[in-house]
Formats: sequence, structure tokens, C-alpha cells
Amino acid sequence: MDFLKSGLKTVLGAPEPGQQPSVAETVERLVERASNSTLLEDRRDACRALKAMSRKYRLEVGAQGLDTLRQILELDKADNETVNYALDTLNNIVSPSQFEEEEDKPHIPMNIGDQFTEMFIKDPHNIQLLLDLLDEYDFRVRLSTVQLLISLLTNRTKDIQEIILDKPMGVSKMMDLLSDNREVIRNETLLLLIKLTKGNANIQKIVAFENAFDRLFEILCTEGYSDGGIIVEDCLLLMLNLLKNNSSNINFFKEGSYIQKMLPMFNIPDNSEEAGWSPQKVSNVHCMLQLVRTLVSPSNSAQIVSNCQKIMNNVGLLNSLCNILMASGVPADILTETINTVGEVVRGDATNQEFIGTVIAPSYPPRPAIIVLLMSMVNEKQPFPLRCAVLYCFQCYLYRNEVSQANLVQTLLPSSTDVSSLTSGQILCGGLFSSDLLSNWFSAVALMHALIDNTTQKEQLLRVLLATNIGSTPVSLLHQCTLLLQQTTKLQSKVALLMLLAQWTAHCPAAVGCFLRANGAVACLVNHTSCNEHDDNDCLLQGLSAFLLAICIHFNDDSVTNHSADSLRQLLLKRVGLETFTAKLGEVSRHELYNRAAKHPQLRVAAPADVLVDYEFCKLFKSLEGVLIQSVQIKQENAVNEERQSSEADLQQYKQVIRLQDTRLSELLQQLEALAGQAASLQSALNDSLAANSLLKDENTLLKAQVSANSLPQSQPNLVQPPDPRIGEYEARIQQLTDEVTQLTRDLNVVRESQKNSTEELEKMKKDQDDLLELLADQDLKLNEYNMKLLTMVSSIEGDNVIEPEENST
Amino acid sequence: MAYAYLFKYIIIGDTGVGKSCLLLQFTDKRFQPVHDLTIGVEFGARMITIDGKQIKLQIWDTAGQEAFRSITRSYYRGAAGALLVYDITRRDTFNHLTTWLEDARQHSNSNMVIMLIGNKSDLESRREVKKEEGEAFAREHGLVFMETSAKTAANVEEAFINTAKEIYEKIQEGVFDINNEANGIKIGPQHSNAGAGGAGGAGAGGAPPGGCC
Ligand SMILES: Nc1nc2c(ncn2[C@@H]2O[C@H](COP(=O)(O)OP(=O)(O)OP(=O)(O)O)[C@@H](O)[C@H]2O)c(=O)[nH]1
Ligand SMILES: [Mg+2]
Repeated sequence: MDFLKSGLKTVLGAPEPGQQPSVAETVERLVERASNSTLLEDRRDACRALKAMSRKYRLEVGAQGLDTLRQILELDKADNETVNYALDTLNNIVSPSQFEEEEDKPHIPMNIGDQFTEMFIKDPHNIQLLLDLLDEYDFRVRLSTVQLLISLLTNRTKDIQEIILDKPMGVSKMMDLLSDNREVIRNETLLLLIKLTKGNANIQKIVAFENAFDRLFEILCTEGYSDGGIIVEDCLLLMLNLLKNNSSNINFFKEGSYIQKMLPMFNIPDNSEEAGWSPQKVSNVHCMLQLVRTLVSPSNSAQIVSNCQKIMNNVGLLNSLCNILMASGVPADILTETINTVGEVVRGDATNQEFIGTVIAPSYPPRPAIIVLLMSMVNEKQPFPLRCAVLYCFQCYLYRNEVSQANLVQTLLPSSTDVSSLTSGQILCGGLFSSDLLSNWFSAVALMHALIDNTTQKEQLLRVLLATNIGSTPVSLLHQCTLLLQQTTKLQSKVALLMLLAQWTAHCPAAVGCFLRANGAVACLVNHTSCNEHDDNDCLLQGLSAFLLAICIHFNDDSVTNHSADSLRQLLLKRVGLETFTAKLGEVSRHELYNRAAKHPQLRVAAPADVLVDYEFCKLFKSLEGVLIQSVQIKQENAVNEERQSSEADLQQYKQVIRLQDTRLSELLQQLEALAGQAASLQSALNDSLAANSLLKDENTLLKAQVSANSLPQSQPNLVQPPDPRIGEYEARIQQLTDEVTQLTRDLNVVRESQKNSTEELEKMKKDQDDLLELLADQDLKLNEYNMKLLTMVSSIEGDNVIEPEENST
Repeated sequence: MAYAYLFKYIIIGDTGVGKSCLLLQFTDKRFQPVHDLTIGVEFGARMITIDGKQIKLQIWDTAGQEAFRSITRSYYRGAAGALLVYDITRRDTFNHLTTWLEDARQHSNSNMVIMLIGNKSDLESRREVKKEEGEAFAREHGLVFMETSAKTAANVEEAFINTAKEIYEKIQEGVFDINNEANGIKIGPQHSNAGAGGAGGAGAGGAPPGGCC
């Protein structure tokens, strides 16, 4: 404490003779009286005075008085008033916050309360003194003790937790206060327990053992559950502390039938729209949702999650959550969090997944809740967090459930096209090809989740055909995705499509074959992969392309003649090289957003621009990365060996071929250049009309959606709205727009046809050129080899000529 | 699920005597051959039937290591029953019983039922503590005694159930104040809820008329 005393002197300066006694002197005198006076009244007065000074002069009072005050807690226990002054004084000294009275004293260190706390707890017995004082029934003493403990815990959480754990009845004593019938004490105790349980599993378990959940549910009940005040929030925060990452307590919570007791918290009265949501109610419900999520968090053990999920369905909690989802007037952030919660309650539990699959939204016409949710996901006007939540919920709905995965794909298959109602598949396809990037991403990822570990659906999805234009032959969904991958310049869309294609083709040779047959697919991947940009996101793109390319090699059944596993491998090695390839794959797992995504199934991003990598994709990537590198590598060695074994002949013949091909190559290059220019202009024309077309389509969809009685409201995030009366007007407008679209589609077809022709031509030329380039490189190599051989042969012949005679002579 | 009574148990005794194994055998009917040192405390639960009544057992398995002793002490007060376990193949675990008993008596409520358990009875060849010694110690200190094997499950059910029977009898005799939850006993939710046990979520939604309010 010396440093404080000396600090004090320098700050206050030595007292000048003849002047008023300095603060330090006054404090010294008071402390002296408090500790040495034989009269209780004297000591009490001294403490009262010290308390009065302790806010403005806490440095002085603390530095000189800490020991004495501590001593009073022990010796003057019998006099509540004195003890109370001492407690309040101590509380001021160690207070973690700055007092108003101190504001003009810049020399007081910011962590002064923390330093005094450290001194106070140096002797653990001091904490015992406080614990003993908790037995004192006097209101003021009890309250002040609790408050002092709160301050101490705030400053030195870990140290004091350990000290208290070491006292047999420490936690129990604090728990007892929760039953104090004086509300102020009960409420203050809640705050104390929240601090006490923070991050300490052992204390959390003791508090749970001491019937905390019973007490807390009683308080919740008397306070009116979600309609209660801040005390409800405090109760919920304490429960969250007790359960978070504490499987023993979660088990206890579940076994103690407390999940059932949560039910009344989610009763949202029908008139909630009129009643409105106070900020406190929003906080309360938010905490309750957190509580549910803590029990079924994907980071808990699978068994606990599964048990809790079953109970939540059985007792009707899932049903209550779905009611909130469908209720009107629910604030956006509550709705968002409810969607997330519903997702985690159903994740991986077939019964619960089926349950939300059958929930019908009270819309006109009635639609499955899933459909209404997906419509919000691909609706640009909905809040970003809500759209992310829907994606997560939908992912949870599909997670490890072959039935819900099959149902989604089913809605896209030709046989089942039910024109009358909107299906989840249609919404996702719409989103996939919409002009809104987030919709692209969400839809691609959602679709991707229908394919995880499900080869059947990967093959089924290959059958999906899209009628892109009236009259033209339908295009397969996979080819359309490939086309879009080549056309789009947007990172988010590209990444989404690459992830979808990778998930689709992995472990599915049929999908690989289909992908390889798509126009320009391979060229596009090779180009992406061998790109040399060094921006983080470009690296990600290159890595993902390399990943997909390698999947096409590894899961290739050689059914596409010009893209057999071996030819692709050669192409990859030649155009990219093994080292670069490996490095580019590595870039993916180094990307910041990849690492963030890999941590948790839920997409957790702050801004739309950060929506890039999906959790399940990370899992796929991790599982295949090593295999793919090996697959490319091992075969390469074989190839090298073969090459080495190739015979050394026909030098002349090669030379001739090379000469011939050289001339043909330069011819072709010229042609290619001309065609490329042509293609570029056609492409831009096509892009223009595509953009115009999609604009009209969007407008059309929007209008359609508005007309079909239950479109999504534009300004607020509610999922349901009464039917729009202006149907007639819209119908006319739609007719007009449909006509325009047809006209434009026709125009587009013409442009497309000609573009297709030239693209094909171009592709053919490109391929020829590729082949030729390969050959050329081969030839070059060989030529060198032969040159070398020739040289050695020549020299050996010359040598022979010299040596021969000598040899003959011997 | 609805129950008539809920009893809280703790399991205490030296490290390695098989406390966690006993609990696991009782709740999951499994044996865990590798010593998975308990850190702090672990919770387990199971329903049993006594006298035709459903009784829920909530069991806290404590860590035997010295370092966790003070944490363990926090659990005595609120427990209705304790299983005090030693290992019949290690005499030192038997010798430490007096210390454990002192600790328990000092921190628990006076009515706590203590069951003395000599575990690992399957390892007859390595036995260091005779069964008679265990019986004598129990008689001397007024405990119930039993030898068990968490490995073969011999007597495991009995150990937990007999402890419950003892508590149940004390309740019938009026020794336990069942309205004081600090004794480690709770009365189940009222009979209005009976039968609602595993019922599906059909009519659920209203507030259950639980004990509160
Ligand atoms: N043969 C045999 N081995 C047992 C029996 N019970 C426990 N074990 C073994 O004894 C070792 C310790 O068992 P645990 O249940 O983990 O011991 P514990 O009492 O919980 O120990 P702490 O958690 O450190 O207090 C393990 O290797 C068990 O396999 C038994 O009845 N028979
Ligand atoms: Mg153990």
C-alpha cells in the first residue's frame, strides 16, 4: 500500500503549517478513531464520516482505511449500523465505476477499484467475513454485503469465484438469498448470481443443485413471464449462464422437466398486435429464445440435442414457436431469432422436421410455412438477418433427412410439376437465376443442402429440365448452372454455383459426366484455376475452381470421351501444374470467411458482402482436399513413368509433323482472334437482352406475387398480409408485360441461336487449339530430347572414330 | 414424466473406486473400462418404482480427487442420500472412510441416508478388504452396507434402490421435512398432471398448472 501513500503525498503536497488539515490528515484521524476508540459511538461516527468521504477521496480512504474497515466487519458485527457504514465505504472504495465526485481528479487511476479489490481479497478470509454477514437478516447489512460482493466480482471474477468455491457453504448462502421475500434483496441477488456463475462450470453446477431453476421459474411465473419487467430478463440471463456449454446442467434441466416449464414463456396472446411489444418484452422473449437454442445448440452432444428436441416437440414447445412465426405484429428481430430457434429445434430430428413441413401459414391461399419462409429468403426487400435465418432454418429442415431432401428435389422433376401452386423447388430456381446476388447465393446453398450425402437426389436433380424459352429445347438445371457460372461476373454468384456444383458432382460420376458435357465447362474451370490474381477473393475463386476440377478428375468414370480422368489430369498438370494446384486448394482453407463459416452451421455474418462460404461446403472441402491432391499426384507419377519409357524413334517424322502443325497453328490463331471478337460483341448484345428480360421477369414475378393474395409485405417483415384488392389492375399489367416478355424472348432466341453457333465454332477452334498446343509442347520436349540424343550420338560417333583404331590395335 | 417423489443423491469416495462407473451402470446399463477422471461433478438421473410409486432419482457423481474436495462439500447439504464408495481391492480407500464420513456428517443434514458400498466385487482374487470388515464398519456407524460390481452390475440396482427405500421409509415415518427442499426431497407435480407423461404435443399449449403460482 506504500505506493498509494506516497502517491498521495505527491498529489496533495505536504500540508502547509497553519492551514486547514489536509484530506490525508483528516482521513488518518478518522481511521485512527475507527480502529482504536473504545466507544462504539465513536467508532460508528468515524465510519460514518469515512463513508461520506469515500466517494470523493477514495484513494485516501482506501489507502489508509482498508484494514480498519475489514476489522470492523469482524469485530463490530453486532452493530448493524457501524457494519453497514463499513460495508458501504468498502463498496465505494472498490467500486468498478468512476464517481461523479471524482471527475475533476484526473490523477486517480482508472483501475483504482480493481487495485483495492486485489488488496482486499489477498486474504481470502475477508470473503468469508462477507459470506458470514449474509446470514445477518438486517435489510441494510444484507443488501450492502450483496452489493459489495457484486463490485468485487465485477473487478476480479475468476479470483473470487475460486475463493468462494473453496468455502463449503459459499454458493449455498448466496442461493438462499434468492428466497428472501424482500424483493430488492432478491433482485440484487440475481445480479450477484449472474456475475458469480459467469464462465465457471463448477459454480454453475452447484447453483443448479441448489434448486436455482425452481426458484427462477417461480419468479418468472410471479412476474408474468414475457410480460414481466427487467427481473424476468435477469432470471433468464442467469439460466443462460447456468446452461451455456454445461452439458451436466443441460442434462439436469432436461431431466428435471424444466423444458415443459418454459412453455408459458412462449404464449403470445392473440391481441399482441394491439398490445404492442415493449422493448422489455422484446428483450425477454429474445432471452427465452436463446435459452431454447442453448439446449439444442449444434455444439452440444448429439444425444443431449436429440433428447431435448424430442421433449420440445412432445410438450408443444415447437408448436408454440411456430405460432410466433405465424403471428402478426411480431418485431423483426424476434421473428428472425424465432426462425433460427425453430431451425435448431428441428435440426436432424426427423419427427420435428416433418412437423414444420406440415405447418400451414394462415395466408390466402393457405401455403406451407416453409414456402412462405423461402419466399422471404429470395425477397430483396426482407431484412438481411431474416433472410439468413430462413436459410439456416431451411438447412436444418434438410439436415440428415432424406425425405425432406427428396421432397424438395421432387418438386422440380418434370412429372410432378403442379402448375397451380408455387413449390419450394421453383422458388429456389427462381432465386438461383434472379438478378439479386444474395438470392443466387441463398438458393444455390439451399439446393446444395438437398444433396448432402445423398447420391440418389444428386442423380434425380440431373433430370431437372428448365424451359428457358418458349419453344426452345429445355436445358438441364446443371447445364444452366454451368452456363451461369461462365456468364456471371459476380463473385458471390460464382462462389455459390461452384459450391453447388462441387457438392453435386462429389461422389457422383453421373453428375461429373453431365457437367463435363456442358459447353465450355472445362475451359471455364481451367481458366479460373490458372488465373493469377492475388486478391483474397480471387484466390478463393481459383481454389474453388481447382477443387471442382479435381472432383471431376477423381469421380470421373470416363464416360465423356474427350474428358476422361486422364485427359483432364494431363490438362490440369499442363495448364496449372501440381504445385500451383495444391497451393490454390490451400488458399481456400486460408480464406478468412472460410474459417469463419467452418466454425458453426449457422451463417454468422454482419454484412451481405460477407456471405460467401457455407458450413457444409467447408465440411465437404475438408473431407476431400487430401484425397483430391493424392488423386492428381499419384497418377502424375504414372504418367511420367510412361513418358520415360516411350521409345526414342522417329525423330525425322516428328520434325515434319511439328513443322506442319506450326503453320496450321498460326492459321488457327488468326481465325480464333477474329471469332473471339465476334463472340464478344454477340455476348454483350445477349447480356443486354438477358438483363432486360430478367428485369421484366422480376417485375412480372413481383406483380404476380402481389396479386396472389398473400404476397409478402414490402415494408415490414411479417410473413402474412391480407389479399390485395387491386387484382384486376395488376392482371392487365401482367398481360401487357407477358406480351412484352414473349416478344423479347423471341428476339433473344434469334440472338442466342446465332451466338450459340458462333460459340460452338469458337469452342471447337479453342479445343483444337488446346490440343495443338499440347501436342506442340510435347513435340518441343521431344525435339529437345532428340536434339540432345543426336548431340551425344554425334559426339560418341566422333569419339568412336578416334578410339576405334586404338582398340583394334590392342 | 410425472413422479411422486424426487430424491437427490450424491456419490462420494476416493478417486478410482468406481463412482462414475456405478452411476453409468445404473443410468445407462453400461460399463466403462477406462478411468475417465471426473472433474468437479457430473449429473445423472433415473426413474425407479418403490411401493408402486414412481420416484425420480437425481444423482450427482462427485470427483474423488483431493483437489475437488471443497466443491464436493457444497453438495452435502442438499442431498437426501449418499453412496459412500470404497474399492475392495484397495485397502487405503477403505481406510479413508472415516474422513469421508466426518466430512459428510459435518456438512449434510442429519437425516441424510448413507449407503456404504464396497465396489469391484468381481475382482475377488485381488480383494484386500473382507466383506465382514465392511459390514462391521457400517454397523458401527449406522450405515447400510452392500458389495457391488459396476462391471457385472451385481447389486448396482439394489444399492440405489435400497437407499431410496430407506429415504422413503423415513418420509413415511415423518422424519424428513418434505416441504423443505434443502433436504434433497421434492414432492412430484400434482396428480392433475398424471398420465400426461409421454403424451404427444396434441393439446399442449396452455400453461401447465405446475406447482408455482
Ligand atoms: N473390475 C472392475 N473395475 C471397475 C469397477 N468399477 C470401476 N472399475 C474401474 O475402476 C476405474 C475407475 O472407475 P471410475 O468410476 O472412473 O472411478 P471414480 O470413482 O469415478 O473416480 P474419480 O472420478 O476420479 O473420483 C475404471 O478403470 C473402471 O473401469 C468394477 O466394479 N469392477
Ligand atoms: Mg468419476
